[in-house]
Amino acid sequence: MYELLLGGVENILHLHFLVPLFLGTLVGLIGGALPGVTITMTIIIVLPFTFGMDPLQGLATMTGVYVGGSAGGAITAALIGIPGTPSAITTTFDGYPMVQKGQPGRAVWLGIWSSFLGGLLAGVFLIGATGPLASIALEFGPWEYFSLFVFALSMVAGLTEGSLVKGLLSGAIGLAITIVGSDPIMSVPRFTLGTEFLRNGFPFLPVLIGIFAFAQLMTDIEKMGPADHGAAPLKAPPLTVSHLKVIWEILSRPFLLVWSTLVGILIGVLPAIGGSAATVMAYDQAKKFSKTPERFGKGNPEGIIASEASCNANVGGSLVTIMAFGIPGDAVTAVMLGAMTIHGIQSGPLFVSQHPDIAYGIYAAYLVAHPLMVLICALGARLFLRVVTVPKSILIPNVMVLCVIGAYALGNIMDDVVVLLLFGFIGYALVKFRFPLAPLILGLILGDQIEVNLLRSIMSDPNPWLFITRPISGSLLGLSVASVVFALWQHHRHKGRITEVEDPDF
Amino acid sequence: MRLTQNSIAGLICLALSIGMLVLTRGLPQSSFVPVGPDFYPRIVLVIMAVLSVLLIVIDLRQQAQGTEAPAAATPEKRNYRLVGVTYAIFTGYVILLPLVGYRAATVLFVAALQAVFESPRGARRWAMVLVSALASSFVTYVVFNDYLSVLLPRGHWTGW
Repeated sequence: MYELLLGGVENILHLHFLVPLFLGTLVGLIGGALPGVTITMTIIIVLPFTFGMDPLQGLATMTGVYVGGSAGGAITAALIGIPGTPSAITTTFDGYPMVQKGQPGRAVWLGIWSSFLGGLLAGVFLIGATGPLASIALEFGPWEYFSLFVFALSMVAGLTEGSLVKGLLSGAIGLAITIVGSDPIMSVPRFTLGTEFLRNGFPFLPVLIGIFAFAQLMTDIEKMGPADHGAAPLKAPPLTVSHLKVIWEILSRPFLLVWSTLVGILIGVLPAIGGSAATVMAYDQAKKFSKTPERFGKGNPEGIIASEASCNANVGGSLVTIMAFGIPGDAVTAVMLGAMTIHGIQSGPLFVSQHPDIAYGIYAAYLVAHPLMVLICALGARLFLRVVTVPKSILIPNVMVLCVIGAYALGNIMDDVVVLLLFGFIGYALVKFRFPLAPLILGLILGDQIEVNLLRSIMSDPNPWLFITRPISGSLLGLSVASVVFALWQHHRHKGRITEVEDPDF
Repeated sequence: MRLTQNSIAGLICLALSIGMLVLTRGLPQSSFVPVGPDFYPRIVLVIMAVLSVLLIVIDLRQQAQGTEAPAAATPEKRNYRLVGVTYAIFTGYVILLPLVGYRAATVLFVAALQAVFESPRGARRWAMVLVSALASSFVTYVVFNDYLSVLLPRGHWTGW
């Protein structure tokens, strides 16, 4: 394993891969720092640039964006008190007060070094756990896969804020989108309305880009004033600091660092929950375990360490789930899953054994992206503040053009762009009706697999009780029921206190 | 009783699921396979229909009991007109792309959208909008078409 990893690192350090990884990390940091541009959006923007690359080059770029984006949010969160990405919200709680106390360098670099250390610790888990988890998944038959996917869907739907029924319905809509097109056994066209284009179903990426990008862009547009020329250029304070002192400040709290990292990994491994939940939970835990909880929210370094370590650890956890099971850990990995498919890679338990060069290349890219991230921040953290002042009137049209290129370049056909437009409408409508998007995306990704595994299991043995009597399958279905019951209990407990958010976590 | 957001969403999803359920009738069956191509879609659509009905029922019950879920705490003023105009311009862009080609359509799209967002006044602001649109089109075309081997659409009318 270590030989393969060393080989992967050696490979990634070649300029052929290092340059795209560097650029991906840089763009990720900028996208992460830009308030209103999430990591998902940054990945969508970067995606078409990777179409012409070879698979590892493309995936290294995406990994760089993911790692950089997760850390970039901390810069604006600390310096201007606005989280660049939703997951950096908890960094504002203590980062911004610390800056106001006149310690901007300490606040920003505590965030960056915590991201670095949390990310690297999660990397150890990523490299160590993916293989064994994939081996477990290799023992799965179609019954277990079906139950695993149902469990993933029910858990995501249950964990969404607001209405449980809406979460489940959102997942069902995602599944319904995937039933359009030929059936997997006899290739009988279903719901194609006589069109040849729909015989293969709705193409995944234009649907995903349409739903996510437009839902977010239109939500931004509706808040724009009559002439939004962007904010006045911000002047960044000097960020000079003793790095050794900052690193020691983090390492002298080993329990906090490790615990926050574990929370990040755990939330990352669980499907489609996302980075925000990880940082909020880690921050909450840090406060509970702290000897001085009253200092939280007033510039306490523990708050920044917990938030940022868990944020980047969440990336490692999400990558484990996508590589071992083929299930996206969050919206970002959903787009990455799409990127892998474009490059001809089928993610899942066979991925590591069938494509060790790519798998270990991704591990290596993940590990190398962290020092690159620190290097870029050291060179230009202050410059990122200038970028955040780019007016939305310039940013939004260009993001839309890149969305069109991303959809079109997939098959060089305009039909894909029409699908993007159609799902752009649907995505925005769903947001307006306050449907959570995460279950829909998961349904969309897992729909085909759920159908194939259901049909395979029935064709192997038509006895439906096997779904329950096979131990792993039965346990997973039991967990699905438990997650829905837990969600019902939680909704009942918070009855009247749950508000349906209009701007969901993208 | 009034139709609230959740009831409307439930009704739309219910109508869609019933409509698609009707379409599953008449799909050809095979004697070799124990389940036909309509088997899985029907499961999904029935689940969707049941959840839609649940959404409507819960909403109506909450209305009757006066315990509707509170709306977002801070109702911000939203510029829906701008959203509508953006969609209209984007739809125009999608229509124009195959007719006039990527380069011309992108210049028109970026300039139009920026003009709507900024409402430029004076020749200088308009010139900046135009320069920005030309730069967007040129840079993306060169990067994708020439360096990344992504063939962008050529126009039927213009030939480029």
